[in-house]
Amino acid sequence: MNKNDFEKIHDHLWEVPRTFRPDMRVPARVYASEKMLDSILRDRSILQLINVATLPGIQRYAIAMPDVHEGYGFPIGGVAAVDPKEGVISPGGIGYDINCGVRLLRTNSIYGELRPLLKTLAHSIAREVPSGVGRGGRHKLKKDDINLVLRDGARRAVAMGFGDESDLTRIESGGKIDGADPELVSDSARQRGHDQLGTIGSGNHFVEIDRVETVYDPEEAECLGIYKGGIVIQIHTGSRGLGHQVATDYLRVMTKAMPRHGIELADRELACAPFRSDEGQRYFHAMAAAANFAWANRQLITAGIRRAWEHEIPDDTIEIVYDVAHNVAKIEQHEGVGEVVVHRKGATRAFPGQPVLIPGSMGTASYLLVGSEGSMAQTFGSSCHGAGRVMSRTKARHEISFDELRKRLEKQGIVTEAGSTKGLVEEAPEAYKDIDEVIDVVAESGIARKVARFVPVAVIKG
Amino acid sequence: MYEFLEHTSDVRVRVSGATLEELFADAVRALFAALEAVGASDAQPVTWRVSVDSVDRTALLVDFLSDVLVQAHVRRVVFRDVRFVRLTETELEAELQGVAAAEFGEDVKAVTYHEADVRMENGRWQTMLVFDL
Repeated sequence: MNKNDFEKIHDHLWEVPRTFRPDMRVPARVYASEKMLDSILRDRSILQLINVATLPGIQRYAIAMPDVHEGYGFPIGGVAAVDPKEGVISPGGIGYDINCGVRLLRTNSIYGELRPLLKTLAHSIAREVPSGVGRGGRHKLKKDDINLVLRDGARRAVAMGFGDESDLTRIESGGKIDGADPELVSDSARQRGHDQLGTIGSGNHFVEIDRVETVYDPEEAECLGIYKGGIVIQIHTGSRGLGHQVATDYLRVMTKAMPRHGIELADRELACAPFRSDEGQRYFHAMAAAANFAWANRQLITAGIRRAWEHEIPDDTIEIVYDVAHNVAKIEQHEGVGEVVVHRKGATRAFPGQPVLIPGSMGTASYLLVGSEGSMAQTFGSSCHGAGRVMSRTKARHEISFDELRKRLEKQGIVTEAGSTKGLVEEAPEAYKDIDEVIDVVAESGIARKVARFVPVAVIKG
Repeated sequence: MYEFLEHTSDVRVRVSGATLEELFADAVRALFAALEAVGASDAQPVTWRVSVDSVDRTALLVDFLSDVLVQAHVRRVVFRDVRFVRLTETELEAELQGVAAAEFGEDVKAVTYHEADVRMENGRWQTMLVFDL
């Protein structure tokens, strides 16, 4: 596979035609600059995208975002819209971390005044919001409670006293996917998740306090309550062990069911079942339940951050700007194809006018965008989700010194509150792609437009 | 035996064994190595019996390890020894012994099917395994 296998549609769009492989049902499209495409071709993400293009019922194109990298089944940064009548649903098109996503909070604080308090604030947040491997939360859910969380997501968290009704209007899908069926979530999944609500977990998940560094679109920014020099907070986490187990459980169910449905695929991680089949429906409703768990999780984390904030700055208030899922499947209406099941894996919904949250890696910039009109026709209303790793965790651990990194971040004015030295060095900025290039492709392709750029001032992680 | 290899975001490990039993048992050890599991020193031994059935031996290994991972997460145990009562192409019954875990240094989200392919090569059973972190 090399660049000659692509047709250039425009400067930021490349297509592998359907004729490239006989089992492809639609072409595969990649949004990237030519330079980025060279780097994308170094791993197997395009091969995985071509496998996606073979899924029964896939419409128009298999699409890769500029931050695409190799995943399991689908590449991370992949989008596929599938006809629910004739097509399939694939857990590999959503990922193990169901409804991994980002929430952006705004405060009334300004950086200049907040600066001396940053260390205390970061420490307070770390105390209120547990993070790191195996760290459970304060809220251990019993069966009835967990069922309500799985059914009603962030709405249930608000009913439990974590936030208020107005929070729900600023969350994708109101913080709840309809049709979630808690009974389809296994005991193992419940056991893995019962004490994890309100926790961040490990890996690339974090809470981050940011300074608004640049505002590109003052009008839009003002509507969202964002001002240059202001302070915002990002939460990046998902459905924790519960979601990981739902994915594992249904991948197994589908692997067993595929021969019965006469489906053969190039990659086991793409295991799928017809959307309308018993297995397809069970997965969809269990996935919705796990997605709701993730929204409740981010709602409880928000409550923890509010407590910490109130403790240190009692006269400030924290409001939600928006909350997006970047690992999920949803039933949506799209022009020309009608109702489709849109799989977004490492891809963010970007409907016109909708805020789109793109976190950078630790120590690098993040972006607030809003969806553009062009997203609907080009990408089923989807955008990128982040920067994407380029250096392995092992290599990062060998090459980056904790003390040096901490000092370097400190020099940049970034306070760190890390549960482990390993957790910090593995997520060092050099382990990730350059986010600015990723955002430029999305903006110049008319998928989403830039509203503001944030730089971190405090990182809280496991 | 098992050997960790380079992977950009997760853990990739090559496992091999003279017999299928040895391969499966070493895969369990590799999983606990990836979890950076530390057993509690004064803990009582823990025994767990499991049976798994799958479509073929590769899926059998992945599904078995997924079940072991649930035990690690939920019961917080570290398994060290695996004894197979039965192990065929598509079914297994095993008894695992271990101790309570004092700590896990890493969080494994899932055992993936990515690159997994249990096959006989040069007289030894082998496979690659990728754990999602």
